[in-house]
Amino acid sequence: MSNAGLSNARSGIEPLGNARWQTPEAKRRIARRNAAERRFKLIGLGAIALSLAFLALLLVIMLKNGLGGLDWNFLSGSDSTDPDIAGVWGAAKGSLLTMLVTLLLSFPMGVLAAIYLEEFAPRSRWIEWIEVSINNLAAVPSIIFGLLGLAVFINTLGMPRSSPLVGGLTLALMTMPVIVISGRNAIKAVPPSIRDAALAIGASKMQTVFHHVLPLALPGILTGTIIGMARALGETAPLLMIGMRAFVVTPPGGITDPSSVLPMQIFLWSDEIKSGFVQNTSAAIIVLLIFLLAMNGLAIYLRNKFEVRW
Amino acid sequence: MILTGVLLAVLGLGLVGWFAARGRARLLHTGRGTMHSMPGYHAWHVALWIVVPALIAWGAWQAIMPGLVDGAVMADPAAAQLPADPMSRAAILAEAKAIADNPDTVAFNPLSNAMSVPVRDAHSRFGLIGALLVAIVALAGGGWAFTRIRANFPARTQVERGILALLLIASLMAILTTFGIVGSLLFEAGLFFRDVSPIDFLTGIHWSPGNARSDNLADSFGAVPLFWGTIYIGAIIAMIVAIPLGLMSAVYLTQYASSTVRKWLKPMLEILAGIPTVVYGYFAALTVAPIFRDFAGSLGMANPSTESALAAGVVMGVMIIPFVSSMADDALAAVPRAMSDGSLAMGATRSETIKKVLLPAALPGIVAGVMLAVSRAIGETMIVVMAAGAAARLSLNPFDSMTTVTYQIVQMLTGDQEFNSPKTLSAFALGLVLFIVTLILNIIALRVVKRFREAYE
Repeated sequence: MSNAGLSNARSGIEPLGNARWQTPEAKRRIARRNAAERRFKLIGLGAIALSLAFLALLLVIMLKNGLGGLDWNFLSGSDSTDPDIAGVWGAAKGSLLTMLVTLLLSFPMGVLAAIYLEEFAPRSRWIEWIEVSINNLAAVPSIIFGLLGLAVFINTLGMPRSSPLVGGLTLALMTMPVIVISGRNAIKAVPPSIRDAALAIGASKMQTVFHHVLPLALPGILTGTIIGMARALGETAPLLMIGMRAFVVTPPGGITDPSSVLPMQIFLWSDEIKSGFVQNTSAAIIVLLIFLLAMNGLAIYLRNKFEVRW
Repeated sequence: MILTGVLLAVLGLGLVGWFAARGRARLLHTGRGTMHSMPGYHAWHVALWIVVPALIAWGAWQAIMPGLVDGAVMADPAAAQLPADPMSRAAILAEAKAIADNPDTVAFNPLSNAMSVPVRDAHSRFGLIGALLVAIVALAGGGWAFTRIRANFPARTQVERGILALLLIASLMAILTTFGIVGSLLFEAGLFFRDVSPIDFLTGIHWSPGNARSDNLADSFGAVPLFWGTIYIGAIIAMIVAIPLGLMSAVYLTQYASSTVRKWLKPMLEILAGIPTVVYGYFAALTVAPIFRDFAGSLGMANPSTESALAAGVVMGVMIIPFVSSMADDALAAVPRAMSDGSLAMGATRSETIKKVLLPAALPGIVAGVMLAVSRAIGETMIVVMAAGAAARLSLNPFDSMTTVTYQIVQMLTGDQEFNSPKTLSAFALGLVLFIVTLILNIIALRVVKRFREAYE
């Protein structure tokens, strides 16, 4: 507790030279208040420690159960009813294809929408509606997006069920608000002087935005995009709605083939009765967490490397 | 097939137009000296005039072609043999289309083979007409734009106007998505409410879609037990875990921890928010639930179930901790420093300042954060699917298995029943309720946060 980092917070009440502070009653009171102070601080530290202990327990149990199952066969195989043969490559490829569709749709759409709202939008009732709906979409439960995907993409437009195409579309709708919000913050952070300078030497508004503001805001936008994509990668509920729980023995060949995704594979295996699947589930969780850790690490790296403090 | 080729051809034509226009504009540039727009803008102007009208024509043709093909097939003599019954007729036509696309398909009905010939003919005929139409539109647009390449032509303004339209369309996607959600939920829920009255649905206390028959529909779809389970798990148990832990971590991180400690602890806490919910669900089912079951057993409960509201709620609460913590963090940071400085200067200890000054001042922000956390918890799916159970019951016992709105949505839609049964449609009605409740929570919370920030600015 008494390390250097915490010393500034340790300042309790010191008894002063004044005689009134020296009475036993005053001393008791001060001691009581100092004890309350220490207790409060300890509770705060305890709250963090408890949360982190839960995290550690989760990770340790997954590692203990799953590390033995991580070998080349597991990483290169596809789903099977036999836990010894089953692997994650089929599901990982499905995740990859789904993420590709999501990225190709949500990134351009999100960035363009962010540019419009931040740089060009007039202050009108319409624009206010767009902003309100973006903020709300970012907080709508993911399962609702799954219902939308089922009703619109599959039942109305007749797209193939269980395919990375529909999964990617659904997740793109979910990810786009995240990208728009982070994109707007990144664009807002570019100082007005950059815009004024470009406009002053005769650039048009459009040239100013695309030649100067956007490149400067891009690291921030990319960070937000990666975080949004990481969230989409771990998402299961909306994909459950559009039927991406197919038992897929061969990896999907294209974005219209039935496929599964990594989190869905975890969910399907967790339901299996054979005891070998406990190891498989935990191993798949390790694979998924490594992917997520890599993506978040990349986002933090990008932020630290390219972030400009104006 | 042919139309995909057309799409590529249009893009190729656009590329050709781009280079041709740039070349011509450059010639003008060297000849005249001053121009309104750079050659590149002329190039984009022409390319856009080739691609955009052609794509619109392509999309329009894609939309009307199936109707034209059907009309042509019905006019064919072979169609006279089709049965009058619309169901089997549609089935044969669908099969004929599959054969026309891929000749190796094995037909279930021999008539389909005969029908596939006119289908294929009509396909190629209308495909060709469509391709011609698209080509004409592309060439006409490109040609018209090409004649406008002049030194004083404002190509840049035109292109920028086009880009602005694109930006506007991108931002309208958000509104379109919202309309899509509201529209599809209302439509499907409307179908459900034709069979079951909304009053029975919202106030009934028996949820048993499994044995719903047409004569007891009103009795089988009472959603109150689901609402109770959702509130009990998401808004009560999860919050009992998340609010104290999240709030105290925020207090510690903002008020006591040095900046180095904060720099390390905060990202570690955020990892909790980054773990996929399916992992939490598995952890809840594998580790947490058995612990609570054994605990319930040791309390003397008979046959404690593995799936319990407590396990799902506690794990969900842990998942929400970083969210509550960062919302409380923001709320505490918004309180002006002068307020806590004033309290400290009067001789209050830090904890007294926090309890008596900071927390009351930050309360609106914290309450809004808790509301957002609740809206997130009641929409959470995987943890309850894996750990909470399927039994719809009104119970106060946290060790009982309980079900939630999200669990039942998953349950209703992952079976194999036909899409229009009341059972399937009930999922959309539940989704509608969930959407409305989370929407109200979010709107109120965002408004409170906004007003709270303004109050201290």
